[in-house]
Amino acid sequence: MSGASGRARDALDAAADRVLEASVLERIGIAMASTALALAIGLVIVAAAGHDPLRFASHLVVGSVGSERAIARTLRYSTMFVLTGVAVAVAFRAGVFNIGVQGQFVVGGFATVVTIVSLAPVLPDGGLGNVVLLLAGTLAAVVAGGLYAALPGVLKAYGGANEIITTIMLNFIAIGFVGWLVAGRFGDPEATATRTERLPDYVGLPSPLFDDPNLSIVGLLVMVGVVAGVAFVTARTRFGYDMVTSGYQESAASYSGVDAGRMIVSTMTFSGVVAGLAGAVFAIMIQGYYTDPSGVGNYGFDAIAVSLLAANHPVGVVPAGLLFGGLESAGSHVQINSDVPVQLIDGVVGLVVLFVAAPELFRMLARRTGLGGADR
Amino acid sequence: MSVGEYASRTEVRLGGLALAVAVAFTVLAVEFDVPLDRLFTAGFLSRSLEMATPIALAAVGGLYAEKSGVFNIGLEGFMIFGAFSAAATMYLLGGETPTQGHVWIAMVAAVAVTTLLTAAFAVLVIRYEADQIVAGLAVWFLGLGFAPFTAAVLWGSRSSPGLASIDPIAFGQSPLIPLAGLVVAAAWVILYRTRYGYWIQAAGENPEALDTAGVDVNRIRYATVLFSGAMAGLGGAVLLAHAGNFVGTGDTMVDGRGWIAIVAYLFGNYNPIGAAVAALLFGGLDMLNVQFQTVGIDVSARLVNLLPYVAVIVVLTAWGKTRMPDAVGEPYESEE
Repeated sequence: MSGASGRARDALDAAADRVLEASVLERIGIAMASTALALAIGLVIVAAAGHDPLRFASHLVVGSVGSERAIARTLRYSTMFVLTGVAVAVAFRAGVFNIGVQGQFVVGGFATVVTIVSLAPVLPDGGLGNVVLLLAGTLAAVVAGGLYAALPGVLKAYGGANEIITTIMLNFIAIGFVGWLVAGRFGDPEATATRTERLPDYVGLPSPLFDDPNLSIVGLLVMVGVVAGVAFVTARTRFGYDMVTSGYQESAASYSGVDAGRMIVSTMTFSGVVAGLAGAVFAIMIQGYYTDPSGVGNYGFDAIAVSLLAANHPVGVVPAGLLFGGLESAGSHVQINSDVPVQLIDGVVGLVVLFVAAPELFRMLARRTGLGGADR
Repeated sequence: MSVGEYASRTEVRLGGLALAVAVAFTVLAVEFDVPLDRLFTAGFLSRSLEMATPIALAAVGGLYAEKSGVFNIGLEGFMIFGAFSAAATMYLLGGETPTQGHVWIAMVAAVAVTTLLTAAFAVLVIRYEADQIVAGLAVWFLGLGFAPFTAAVLWGSRSSPGLASIDPIAFGQSPLIPLAGLVVAAAWVILYRTRYGYWIQAAGENPEALDTAGVDVNRIRYATVLFSGAMAGLGGAVLLAHAGNFVGTGDTMVDGRGWIAIVAYLFGNYNPIGAAVAALLFGGLDMLNVQFQTVGIDVSARLVNLLPYVAVIVVLTAWGKTRMPDAVGEPYESEE
């Protein structure tokens, strides 16, 4: 018995390795070609709309890496894209489509702010209070995000409800419900805008390296730590192994004793935990309070594109997140310095996703142009 | 017939949903001491019908595509493109004071534009075997990005100025409601009563057999995907023709209706009439807000607006095991 299951595991190992690693180079090629093609189409559209595409292109470069401020802004956006992208990648890798990262991100960030604001009066001010509050706020985000993601997991595993649809619905619900709470019960009556109370002054992350008040080296370290942690869990632990095999080889995974239902729930929870953590970093590092979530930025949606561009690999998410952070950062620059409507960048993101979805297109292009190997 | 089989019948599902909605109404009415006849007015029915029309159109298109084996999850995006193209056409033809003729031309133009875009989507999904889920999501992103972008180029703002909405015909009803009714009825007849309808079903259930019988599977799939995009575009255009101006802020004026459309046909068990009834129930749920305000029930509009989404989750969970066609999501390649 143990011999048979050992052989089965070896076979599974080999299969999973092949699926995951064999075509890394090809995937990188497809990701780069997708991005280049999408950007090229973006430039054509800029020209068609009557603007100067070369000027726009130079705005993109200057706006993302052209100055220390631009770099800090790029890194700030990239931190969010990498964290939310990892959350998406974890689920996609296990064959579960978590489209609900935006909702989990919102719920997590809101939980952070509410926890910190309500605990602050009972704790001492200053350094110790700061650390305790940050930890408590992050814990709240992780729990909230995890639970909010576990729900569609449970509905899929035990109710058969399609997680693509339920997570999208839960996004709408999170945004509407948190918006209602921010406007009502948790709103700051003294603020003119719709938002919660601010976090106490002494709560925040230190920013010794950058002038940007909304970028902290701690935030970057958290990002790197999460990427490393998730990469380790998926590649080196039993849980990660089961998760990935049940994504690629469902029947084989259940043959080797993996409970498919439980796997779906724990995968979603894992993904939601990361999304909640991203929400905490956003709330603490960038916002300092919580606003109506319909205006916090579509990090969780763009994260889908980030993850796909990275072929759902937790480490690949870093360059993909940097690219998206750069685009978003360039967007802020474009908005101030040119007439080109910034929504174009969202459209380009859509094109990137569309092309990433169609690897055959690029294989054919490669064949036609003689760039690919003879076997493709 | 086992209980499970019985419960999967379209009539039973719809009856269940209708019952749940009715119970929710009654509880609310009793709780807030409001006579039911003030909630269920003729105006409520007409607003619900109007709300349901775009959803029903997109749902009928989506179910055709999925019946034939292609999950068009991009309905929301195609609706956005439809609504925007209609607004842009209306503006380019008639400026800020378009006539009724312009409204109709705008709807035709919107269908033409979305059909063209859908053709590109269909080629990617069918010819180049793109992942259907991912490509569909991409269509959504494209709509969310390019429609407001083009709006900003055209109007200097993500939303259009006030254009024109369609004039009502008899009983103050929009003529687009019976038009959608016709589309739904025709879709039902074609799917269940014609040879082409059986081919569509076979393309999704057993493409090999259809291929063996000498029918080109991918040709059928191209046709249904094009139809789904055209109907989603029409749905978006109808939405615009009812509203009278394009809103490109936030999730745009389409605001999740494409997603609700997918659920509507899942709920109607891929039956066009079932999908339309489900769309009507969702439309009614959506319009509860207005009813609550008129009878003076003080519930946050923001919360009531969430009801359709909650309903979708409840529905999917209670009847989650909708049997999808066997070959959905799988590209088909002929052996020859």
